[in-house]
Amino acid sequence: MSSVPDRVVLRRDRDLAGRRHEIWIRRGFVAVLAVVPILALFNLFGQRPETLTATAPAATLQVEAPGRVRGGLLWQARFRIFARATLNRATLILDPGWLEGQSVNTIEPSPVNETSNDGRLSLDLGTIDAGHTFALYMQFQTIPTNVGHRAASVSLVANGRQVLRVRRSITIFP
Amino acid sequence: MDLALRAIVLYAFLVLVTRVVGRRELAALSPFDLILLIVLGDAIQQGLTQDDYSVTGAVIVVATIAVLQVGTAYLSFRSKRARRVLEGNPVVLIERGGVIERNLNRERLSLDELTEEMRTQQIATIDEVEWGILEANGTISFIKRDQAA
Repeated sequence: MSSVPDRVVLRRDRDLAGRRHEIWIRRGFVAVLAVVPILALFNLFGQRPETLTATAPAATLQVEAPGRVRGGLLWQARFRIFARATLNRATLILDPGWLEGQSVNTIEPSPVNETSNDGRLSLDLGTIDAGHTFALYMQFQTIPTNVGHRAASVSLVANGRQVLRVRRSITIFP
Repeated sequence: MDLALRAIVLYAFLVLVTRVVGRRELAALSPFDLILLIVLGDAIQQGLTQDDYSVTGAVIVVATIAVLQVGTAYLSFRSKRARRVLEGNPVVLIERGGVIERNLNRERLSLDELTEEMRTQQIATIDEVEWGILEANGTISFIKRDQAA
């Protein structure tokens, strides 16, 4: 009868004694790996845009932007204002989460004026006449070192008074 | 700091993936596997350095991976338990001309794949094999009956 190769232990390597659980550990990890693409399909890691709407008697504000993004991604936010009454000095005010660690590539159409409002970005859109729709597009790129969860709400102000606020947040994955 | 952290996270993830996908998949490189390997490398590179094209960034990543590689190699050299976790143990697939089907199934290996591997080592029939062992590195080594005697 031939000898067993050196360092091969039959109980361990042939009969798999004490190793039966290994296959289940491996299967467990494979299952965990399989969960990742499933979660990705359900938009857990972004960047599918979500649409949030707030309505008041004077106007409706619709914000379409991803709530979850990843470092380095290019993405777009679309703001639509449907005015039912004339909005004088209409202003969109964006929380710092919109800009913190984000590169703003473009804003179209360019606002009449931009300024800071208590640390928030204030975009002066001018007058929006009743019955008109104003659409503002912003394109961003997320800076890769920017990771975390931040408030990214949007307020619509007219004549210095808040008309609407869309509450939202943004989560940035590494 | 960010680059070193990325390198550590991706290294750990790769160790996990290479351990759970099964050793045969890693050892046998079909043309498709080779393409897959290149795609994987590209995907990892983008997550690793992203928009950092600097020499400093490349040095940080390479140094981090080198340290991790040496560290894991040293750990598996010093500790039997670590070696078992990081590399695994061999599995006997053939003993004295008989196939151990339970072990073959466990490693998701078909008899066709086993005999194909035998043929690449100039072995025509299973009867000729004294020991067929799936090694920890994913290769299958065969010891022929006349060699073992």
